[in-house]
Amino acid sequence: MISAGIDIGSITSKVVILDDGRIYGSKIGFTGYNAERAGSSIYNSLIEELGIKHENVNSIVATGYGRNSVQFADKTYTEILCHAAGAFYNNSDIRTIIDIGGQDSKVISLSADGNVKDFCMNDKCAAGTGRFLEVIARALEIDLENFARLSLQSGKPASISTTCTVFAESEVISLIAKGESRENIIAGIHDSVASRLSSMVYRVGLNPPVMMTGGVAKNSGLVKAIENRLGTGVLVPESAQINGALGAALLAAKQNYRQ
Amino acid sequence: MTEKSDNTKIRSVKRMKEIMTAYYIDAKTAGQNGKKVAWITSGGPVEPLIAMDVIPVYPENHSAMIGSTKMAIDLCEKAEAMGYSRDICSYARADIACATVNGGPIGGLPRPDFLVCCNNICGTVMKWYEVQARYFNVPLFIFDTPFIHTDFSQEARTYVVKQMEEYFIFLEEQCGKKFDRDKLKDVVKKSVEAQRLWKEVLATTKHNPAPMSAFDAFFHLGLIVTLRGTETVNDYYTELRDEMNERIQNGIGIIQEQKYRLLWDNLPLWYKTKWLSDTFASHNACLVADTYTSAWSFVIDMIDLDKPVESLAMAYSNVYINISIDRMYENLSTMITEWKADGLVLHSNRSCKPYSFGQYDTARRVSDEFGIPTLMLEADMLDGRLFNESQAQTRIDAFIELIRQRKGE
Amino acid sequence: MKELEVFRKIAANPFGYAGEIKKSGKKIIGTFCSYAPEEIITAAGAVPFRIFGTNETITRADAHIQAYCCSLVRGGLEDALSGRLGFIDGTVFPHTCDSIQRLSDIWRLNGKFNFHFDVIMPVKLNTQSARTYMCDVLEKFRRELQESLGVEITEDKLKASISMHNRLRENLNKLYDIRMTNPGLISGSDIHSVIKAVMVMDRTDAAVATGTLVAHLENPKQGSLKAKRIFLSGGACIHPDIYSIIEESGGVVVGDELCTGTRYFEGKVSENGDPVKSIADRFCDRLVCPAKYFSNTARGDELLDGVKKTGSDGVIFFYLKFCDPHSFDYPYMAEYMKKADIPNMLLEIEDSSGSEGQLRTRIETFISTL
Repeated sequence: MISAGIDIGSITSKVVILDDGRIYGSKIGFTGYNAERAGSSIYNSLIEELGIKHENVNSIVATGYGRNSVQFADKTYTEILCHAAGAFYNNSDIRTIIDIGGQDSKVISLSADGNVKDFCMNDKCAAGTGRFLEVIARALEIDLENFARLSLQSGKPASISTTCTVFAESEVISLIAKGESRENIIAGIHDSVASRLSSMVYRVGLNPPVMMTGGVAKNSGLVKAIENRLGTGVLVPESAQINGALGAALLAAKQNYRQ
Repeated sequence: MTEKSDNTKIRSVKRMKEIMTAYYIDAKTAGQNGKKVAWITSGGPVEPLIAMDVIPVYPENHSAMIGSTKMAIDLCEKAEAMGYSRDICSYARADIACATVNGGPIGGLPRPDFLVCCNNICGTVMKWYEVQARYFNVPLFIFDTPFIHTDFSQEARTYVVKQMEEYFIFLEEQCGKKFDRDKLKDVVKKSVEAQRLWKEVLATTKHNPAPMSAFDAFFHLGLIVTLRGTETVNDYYTELRDEMNERIQNGIGIIQEQKYRLLWDNLPLWYKTKWLSDTFASHNACLVADTYTSAWSFVIDMIDLDKPVESLAMAYSNVYINISIDRMYENLSTMITEWKADGLVLHSNRSCKPYSFGQYDTARRVSDEFGIPTLMLEADMLDGRLFNESQAQTRIDAFIELIRQRKGE
Repeated sequence: MKELEVFRKIAANPFGYAGEIKKSGKKIIGTFCSYAPEEIITAAGAVPFRIFGTNETITRADAHIQAYCCSLVRGGLEDALSGRLGFIDGTVFPHTCDSIQRLSDIWRLNGKFNFHFDVIMPVKLNTQSARTYMCDVLEKFRRELQESLGVEITEDKLKASISMHNRLRENLNKLYDIRMTNPGLISGSDIHSVIKAVMVMDRTDAAVATGTLVAHLENPKQGSLKAKRIFLSGGACIHPDIYSIIEESGGVVVGDELCTGTRYFEGKVSENGDPVKSIADRFCDRLVCPAKYFSNTARGDELLDGVKKTGSDGVIFFYLKFCDPHSFDYPYMAEYMKKADIPNMLLEIEDSSGSEGQLRTRIETFISTL
């Protein structure tokens, strides 16, 4: 049985195809301004690459901000359930999931059977989200890809007090003016995001093992900062960035909508 | 689909609107009829005003109307231009700005002859009323109700009872006539009856399906706030209660196929009630009760008609928000049990710190002791700029998924 | 100036100082507000320790209280939950604003301290019944403190404590007067250190040390400073850098009505009559806090008096973000200043660090327009 999970995030969209519960293929692309088109084009190009016909896909689940714009999905679920399903598939011991998305970050606590016990999301502002890191990267004129490497070289993380994106940006600019090194600024930014995330972890209760999902989990500098804040290790699965889509595909696999 | 629209229609709404219109006309023409107008906080002791034939006017109720008619952001911005921080209570911001331009849905409130501020709901009202006392240059009476963390001391009791007497003297000075204690007794009796009827109205939603929702309660609350102590209110709530019982008998619920029963904590989002109501209804979820509208019935039992002065002072000191979060939890947990709630929605209301701070602990305790999912909605009761619809949608969807998951659906 | 060293040291590391006090066997009672009845705590043989916002990043407090709460409350809670305030035996919460009120609940339910005192004072201070209640509440606190600490707070102990606290207040008043007449003698950040240190010190030691400092300063050697005279209005100032920024911008602070300033030490407790009643009277009569009510215009009048007395050229309203009581008063107080032709500016800050660049630009601009 073939199932598909489509995760339309605010920055990137992800598609995962499962064949009898195993990952058959996945693809990532930018969402752009048209979520509906992004979803269908990534999905279509993936099934084409895999040589699968749309008629042969048994069930499709959409998730993410743009989930309701995926017209050809059989069902939609929120990212909360999908990230939980994806993380539990990767490692059934996981009790806490940290997911940093483009405009939302969330902490999910799982029970032993993989059900969601509680969740907590950032409040209205964008601090502690992927967008926040992008804004800071722009202010520093550094690609996000280099964030991890540079922050791990920091001798003394700069102190970033504000967690507001707009003010943090101006704070970063004044740090640059003061001659603070980029390495220390980035490490400081990571620590400020980590403190924000760990307070959300404390709100649902810190229950290890902890897994981090979402594209931002590739940033090992941030992962390390979170580990420092929480005083516990954080696992990052290979499939961190596609975890939401993977969970959606897993939830899709539970139902055969088409036949 | 005609049946659907009938279900959500509550007959009494029309009557309620008529009463409110008549009330505001009365208030706005008070001067012509030789009557005094007092502005009073929603939790304030209104019975002595009614006993003295003073028309009580509630800036908070007015601010809620400003919110429902989506005129709040404009007025809030006006207040900000006057120098008031965006971080202070949006009810206060809207009212302070409105007074200077006579804006809003009814062209502003009638000018007060004096102000009565009771700080049993927050410290903010005191600052707000100081602003208005300066603006209108009228006397301000502050009824100071010591906060209850663990107990209400004998010292505090003496203080509030003494203030009730001072309040009567203040009213005598303002009205130029003797305070009528017999009349007060009569008004208090009616007021207790109003609270009892209101409690009965709210209790109808314990039935399945609920004949009305918290969103309806937010609307019908208007009278218990503004006119308790008068006959009109009691007639109205009798009528409303009977209508609800009729709906129960005919099996009419406020939403189609009600599956999940939810509780709401904190004030509503006045500018978003329809959207929220529709969003929850689309998931077959009904907000059957809330701590906010119930607050006007939590302390009825404290009022002793034989000792109206003392017991009134005590009842007003013990209102829902003037107590610690662990005491509030006792009320909340009773409601969860009695209304058989499947989940709890907490509005983290940026404007109302005393209602909102402590919600994180409360939510954790509810989840530990009842095992039901909780949802924290970050917003504001009036200032729509602090609300993000798409974020709220995702949170509500995920919350309902948890309820379903818990029910094994 | 060696007389300042003791204050600088304690202000820089109040927790370390508290640890030393603790070793001496004294109990430490945390306080949150200038309405904390310090005389009674001292009379019980304990040290009142004023809690300020934290220097650390806020993480744990955010699990209990929303981010739209001031940094004083969030920071204090952070230090409590992380164990940094472990030396405290108990905490006193005088009733002030809505945030402190709920903080007390959260603190009581989540903190791990032996004692918790809510001193639920009146909010209005202008009636006889409120005065009586203020006195009753302080008596109640005295009884609770006696019971918790297992000590008797006798009339004599109270009187001795009052007289010592009066001496301390008098010294601080003199220090402020010296600065007012000769602002070059001691820097703003040093004054800040003195006040901050006094608020956590064993008060008897503080009374002696401030006495020595004042005696030293009363023989001025330096000439007067040519700078614009600035008056600060607001709540707790937890941003010591503001003083140096003002001085580097050509200004000098000559007076304030801050909780970490004049509001803390202004007014004397009468040494005749019932001691608790005298403490209550001082709380009702001294410089009022915006969370309390004296009259509709008391704070505006008091500010105007302060500005005139100090001959200030301008006022900076220095608020903590999310401080509702101050924010409500700002428009009318600014209007008062405008009517009296006194230039003024509002600065709202979130915590002790932050966008210093913006702060500096605004202060420099303001001072250059005076």
